[in-house]
Amino acid sequence: MRFLLALFALAAACAQDRTPDGATSNGATGADWPHYGGTQLSWRYSALDQVNTGNVKGLVPVWIFQTGDYAENLQSTPIVVDGVMYLITPRIQVFALDAATGRVLWHYKYPTPRPGKPGGMTFLQNRGVAVSGGQVFFGTTDNFLVALDRKTGVEQWKVSVDDPRQCGCDITAAPLVVKDKVIVGGTGGDAAHRGYLTAFYAQTGRFAWRWYVIPGPGEKGHETWKGDSWKLGGGAPWMTGSFDPDLNLVYWGTGNAGGDFNDQDRLVPGAKGKEANLYTASVVALDADTGQLRWYHQEVPDDLWDFDSAYECVLIDRPINGRMRKLLVHMNKSGVTFVLDRVTGEFIGTFSPLEVQTWISGITEDGKLVGRREPEAGKVVNTCPSAAGAKSWNSMAYSPRTGYVYAPINEVCNDLTSTATEAIEGRFHANGGFTFKLPPDRKTYSHLDAWDPITRKRIWSMPYRYVLLASVLATAGDLVFTGDPEGDFFALDARTGNKLWSYQTGAGHRGSAVSYSVAGRQYIATPTGWQQAITGAQLAPLFPDQNWRGGSTLIVFALPEAAK
Amino acid sequence: MKRVLLFLIIPVLGWSQSAGEKVFAQSCATGYCHGARGAPAGAPRLAGRGFDQTYISNTIMRGLPGTAMPAFGTTLSRAELGAVIAYVANLNGIANPSINLGPGPGAVGPAETPLSPEAERGRALFFDAVRGFGRCSTCHEVNGIGISVTTPIAKIPTDAAALRALATPEVRTATVDGEAMPALIVSQGKTRALFYDLTSAPPVLRTVEPGALQVAEGSAWRHAAVIGAYNDAELTSILGFLREAIK
Repeated sequence: MRFLLALFALAAACAQDRTPDGATSNGATGADWPHYGGTQLSWRYSALDQVNTGNVKGLVPVWIFQTGDYAENLQSTPIVVDGVMYLITPRIQVFALDAATGRVLWHYKYPTPRPGKPGGMTFLQNRGVAVSGGQVFFGTTDNFLVALDRKTGVEQWKVSVDDPRQCGCDITAAPLVVKDKVIVGGTGGDAAHRGYLTAFYAQTGRFAWRWYVIPGPGEKGHETWKGDSWKLGGGAPWMTGSFDPDLNLVYWGTGNAGGDFNDQDRLVPGAKGKEANLYTASVVALDADTGQLRWYHQEVPDDLWDFDSAYECVLIDRPINGRMRKLLVHMNKSGVTFVLDRVTGEFIGTFSPLEVQTWISGITEDGKLVGRREPEAGKVVNTCPSAAGAKSWNSMAYSPRTGYVYAPINEVCNDLTSTATEAIEGRFHANGGFTFKLPPDRKTYSHLDAWDPITRKRIWSMPYRYVLLASVLATAGDLVFTGDPEGDFFALDARTGNKLWSYQTGAGHRGSAVSYSVAGRQYIATPTGWQQAITGAQLAPLFPDQNWRGGSTLIVFALPEAAK
Repeated sequence: MKRVLLFLIIPVLGWSQSAGEKVFAQSCATGYCHGARGAPAGAPRLAGRGFDQTYISNTIMRGLPGTAMPAFGTTLSRAELGAVIAYVANLNGIANPSINLGPGPGAVGPAETPLSPEAERGRALFFDAVRGFGRCSTCHEVNGIGISVTTPIAKIPTDAAALRALATPEVRTATVDGEAMPALIVSQGKTRALFYDLTSAPPVLRTVEPGALQVAEGSAWRHAAVIGAYNDAELTSILGFLREAIK
């Protein structure tokens, strides 16, 4: 058994060595899937290659787990450590499951959270736990960060990050454990709320540091806010960051400035066309020990489209002009993707995967947005992509074997309205609204793309008739997995985009698939269940002949025992 | 005459159209949810749907389970609920809705009686988010807002000096794994002991096995140290708020 595992580890190590341009591959997962993004480099890439292009057709479901939270769906990324899977549900049940069989080892149920601020934003969604040492960490709909004993599921500590009845915010993202600390962001970017990241000591739950997205009086960047708008200006970093242990830097994407669609109360006069409302809609690098800002790159200055930068930061090392560079690849909600030097924040390049893009006319060589088509008070302005995003929160994947990133892109537009309303703490402060519209003269409204982030060329693209809102998983078997709202979970050839396998799971996909192994057998696990609230349910009416099914079920695939 | 009557009736009923529109704009017509004046947006159209008044009341009060529509019955004030129900009823052609929210405890929401300017200043300071974990509501809940780490505030100190010097005999010294810390003991049951670790703000609710916790009376913890984010004038305003808010 031990020998088998060792052999397997060796095979995995060999698989990692076959990379383009000598790229390093420390972002790959092996037997475990230890972090939200696979590893803290957020590749969502498994070095396991037992399942590969040659045999993927043989994948069969081997166990199924029903969470019971069927009204909400299942968005979380399962975490797998030492053969145990830790799965959280929208109503904050945490299950420890035998990762080979699905048997429940323990079950934790969070008490019914107290209601949030009326008119604020609280979501019955949870995107994952973090596991480290002997502990399991997660955030709640009423803004607590909780630690459980990993062996028993018994609560160890919980701490209130903010009052949901005041801030109009909650925690839906998986926390990020960095050394001895647990770092967590929150929602509230569209409520009148000042976003932040907070770090707590893992062992005790005690406060370690907080970094406010919006600088306070006397801090650099504060001058980019008009009057008192900084107090309630949004920017909440509502997803999970990444960590580079060599640089000791934590990377996080921040939310949009609020109010979303009208900048009247937040833009300093004369600042149009310059950096504005720092550090919203930015990628930031923070010192992991202190939370001090090291560098930032603002992607959408004076955002007026709800184009957060909250999504995953993919940390890759690749040579550029013969020199190995530590890079960060980041897709803004608009789809515009930035490649940065993650040591310095230096801008390296950008590309947009959209086929229909009207919110800007283009991007300059140094990454500036040009030809901005902004919403206007008293008018209806149609822009593409929509406020639901060219990509939603669901993650892209990166394969070091191909050197490509894989991302689902939606081609949906919206009619924007813009109004100036008073910011009332914790209340929704979108300053306008949007109505989704399909772009004319198309038969497909999304595509799963492979892009080379260095040459910034699209390698292949799989068109899809509706929208794609599930994360992507890449593996060393040269496979790319994701699912669609109709319920199909499928595998593509990572090099060509050819569909090699598909399985109808019975419910739409809005979650994040992972791969892991137990006793030498590789598993692919996918959450299923179409979303009942934000984005998914909102986009569904664009396709009235469709009936995408909800649910909250994890389905786990493997090759039959005889075939592996 | 008719116009005069209308002006008379609406204030008497308390559900004015403009109040309803305001509540709707703030709580319902938001970017991810309904559109302004009941137009479709992220959530469905509400205007001209032929909803009856019972359906509108029930949905606003209780929400629609399994959807993004939350229950507002326990979160909006009664005045706000009445106004917004009437507003959505108007959008559905019900010209003179008769709103009956039924008996029940008053919902959480803005104070029914307005605070004095001094108390209003105190209220803003008590919940001042700019002070992060240094604000009073990190440990105290008043009228449904704030984190209830402590028991509800019952006795209000006379002045800022008394607030700083507040005796806190309930803060004791807990020792876990050889580390002593100021603590509020929540419960000591047969299988679990719960206490708040007050070493730093925010307090951390710890769960340990009863045998792992030793408790001693007294602590070096002082209320003055955790309210250091406020000056005397601010504390005086906060006390003014508490006197008016806590009946």
